[in-house]
Amino acid sequence: MESMIFDMAERLLRDHVSHALREDAAAGNCPEALWARIEEAGLHLAMAPEEAGGFGVPAAEALGLVRIAGAHGVPLPLAETLIANALLAQAGLALPGGRLTIAEGEALRLDRRGAGVHASGTLTMVPFARWADRIVTLASLDGASQVLSLPVKGLTLTPAQDLAGMPRDDAAVDLDLGAAEIAPLDMPAGTMRALGALVRSLAMAGALETILDLSVQYANDRVQFGRPIGKFQAIQQYLATMAGETAASRVAAEMAAASHGTPSFALAVAAAKSRTGEAAQTVGALAHQIHGAIGYTQEYALHHFTKRVWSWRDEFGTERDWTRDLGRAALSSPQATFWHFITDSTARGATA
Amino acid sequence: MTVTAFPPPPPGSDHDGLRQEVRAFLAEELAGFPPEKRAESWNGFSRDFSRKLAQRGWVGMTFPKEYGGHERSALERYVVSEELLAAGAPVISHWIADRQSGPLILAKGTEEQKRRIVPRIAAGELCFCIGMSEPDSGSDLAATRTVATEVEGGFRVNGTKVWTTYAHVADYMILFCRTGKSDDRHGGMSQFLVDLKGTGNISISPIIDLLGEHHFNQVTFDNTFLPTEALLGQKGEGWSQVMSELAFERSGPERFLSSFALIEELIRLLREGATEAQEAEIGRLSAHLMVLRQMSRSVAGMLNEGKNPSLQAAIVKDLGALFEQDVPRLARSLLSRPAVPGGRDSYAAVLAYTELAVPSFSLRGGTREILRGIIARGLGLR
Repeated sequence: MESMIFDMAERLLRDHVSHALREDAAAGNCPEALWARIEEAGLHLAMAPEEAGGFGVPAAEALGLVRIAGAHGVPLPLAETLIANALLAQAGLALPGGRLTIAEGEALRLDRRGAGVHASGTLTMVPFARWADRIVTLASLDGASQVLSLPVKGLTLTPAQDLAGMPRDDAAVDLDLGAAEIAPLDMPAGTMRALGALVRSLAMAGALETILDLSVQYANDRVQFGRPIGKFQAIQQYLATMAGETAASRVAAEMAAASHGTPSFALAVAAAKSRTGEAAQTVGALAHQIHGAIGYTQEYALHHFTKRVWSWRDEFGTERDWTRDLGRAALSSPQATFWHFITDSTARGATA
Repeated sequence: MTVTAFPPPPPGSDHDGLRQEVRAFLAEELAGFPPEKRAESWNGFSRDFSRKLAQRGWVGMTFPKEYGGHERSALERYVVSEELLAAGAPVISHWIADRQSGPLILAKGTEEQKRRIVPRIAAGELCFCIGMSEPDSGSDLAATRTVATEVEGGFRVNGTKVWTTYAHVADYMILFCRTGKSDDRHGGMSQFLVDLKGTGNISISPIIDLLGEHHFNQVTFDNTFLPTEALLGQKGEGWSQVMSELAFERSGPERFLSSFALIEELIRLLREGATEAQEAEIGRLSAHLMVLRQMSRSVAGMLNEGKNPSLQAAIVKDLGALFEQDVPRLARSLLSRPAVPGGRDSYAAVLAYTELAVPSFSLRGGTREILRGIIARGLGLR
């Protein structure tokens, strides 16, 4: 079942996500036709349980789709819709259909108004907000955490974008929530940030694999001094370094995905987001060095991927944020030694 | 991209019960073992410790019971290995034999060799060394000159091996040398099981390292007679036999835990109070360690399934050496406390030892440049 979805996703994205499509999206055009194909295939529902109309693929598996989407530089909120649908289903809300996105909701204020609830505040840098139908987030009401499903039509957006030209809009919220738009869901503080960091880690792992592939191919094809530049030891050492960082990123992201729903999730996400973010620096810089001037042009594919990883590393917590959290946990842990902290915080064989 | 694929370690591979048993054993055996001794990591030598470990069934864990082993998985062995390293236990006496020589003999040896040698490895009684490098053959293993010439009843060996760790105390050497001419750079090589205590015409002299310690040796074979039974595996197959050992040699937790004593010292001091910048650096170190450990366990899982993940092993060793070599730099950037050999306190002593040890980490077991060449080829560079 899982591998069927992966194969289908890989085929669909390979056939329909082109350089031209990524260019067009960066110019501000939402790729509606691609979304229609994704919806038709049901990729966006993979993580939601079957009774809610999803495929009920275990989280660790379904999240593999995010890595594949990252590898293709999909200019749509596929990862966000996956997470949003899973959260809505978990809270018992009906899945609204359409494109969804997610945001950290700590900045929102919820107040009871009559029988209903009013939400107010501003969500910043919301991924693909202007292309989404709803923003799903978590906020607190009377000390209890709630899942919110905010209709984008009822919000005031201030457009902005990330380094790759993808929408990252601020959304001013001031609206009364309908019954189908709020439900309690017991989640620890920081859950939205952790889920966002998880999907960005997976997407980075995928994009880094593409960056490595492009670089290997270029090193084999480009001839200088009478031979492919991949024959030079200096270039080989760069590529080997990139391979190590890329492998570590995928392991880090998959370790975090496997720990979804376990007590070690927060620490595994901290490790994954900071490790992949660090790799994005090294791998991106070396890829551009190997490609030379052509890699610095708009016509060549590389920039779509390097700009994405350089954006994603800043979203849902930077390396600095996550390493501080992880270091604080290590230094204040009740375990007798640092080693015990490390063995306890690594996913306990939770490999689904 | 097969090179960058590291399947997750199999479910249930934490083996918590075993881990707790090993921790209890180490707490007792190493009580009072000082941090500056723990800093020696897997270079620490104690036949007594290795024997006691074997009595608990923790040496030769993966070997068949028929040969004194315990038929446990590579992941169970992994748990024991990493707990030993994290504690800084003195393990070198059995380490090489347990890690690669035993598995090599089991895979390629004759029935007689297996029966004679392997049970004694599993009992923690035998120390092995590796006779690979030579004065003119370091990274370029194919430049090996030591030659074994076939004579009546066996071979005569002539040549010199260098950097042979613990040859001065080892019982056996796995000798890599030439047994024939070949147009193929990798052909005409063989491996021998050399009884260092019972063979004449072998001279072993110390090479003192920059720490002032005696780990390395120069081993000279002067018309040394080895009986036919000393040949290990097929004559002329030495190259491929060595290559199949590498995944065992390069992927284990000893490739990123060699500076662990310094990490524990550093964190012990930072637990008394840390700035946000210090917390972030410890977080980065933790993230790297968690990921390296997962990669290394992944390779153990692949080895357990009988695969040969030599490329993934090269990646683990390359990243692991970068990590363990960076620890003294990190410590110095977080605390303003000088290194003092022998120490005015345990941090100063461990920092001094580790600073002087780390240059070797990206040399031993395959230099960084060689590993990266292997990885680059694995990426499909034409």
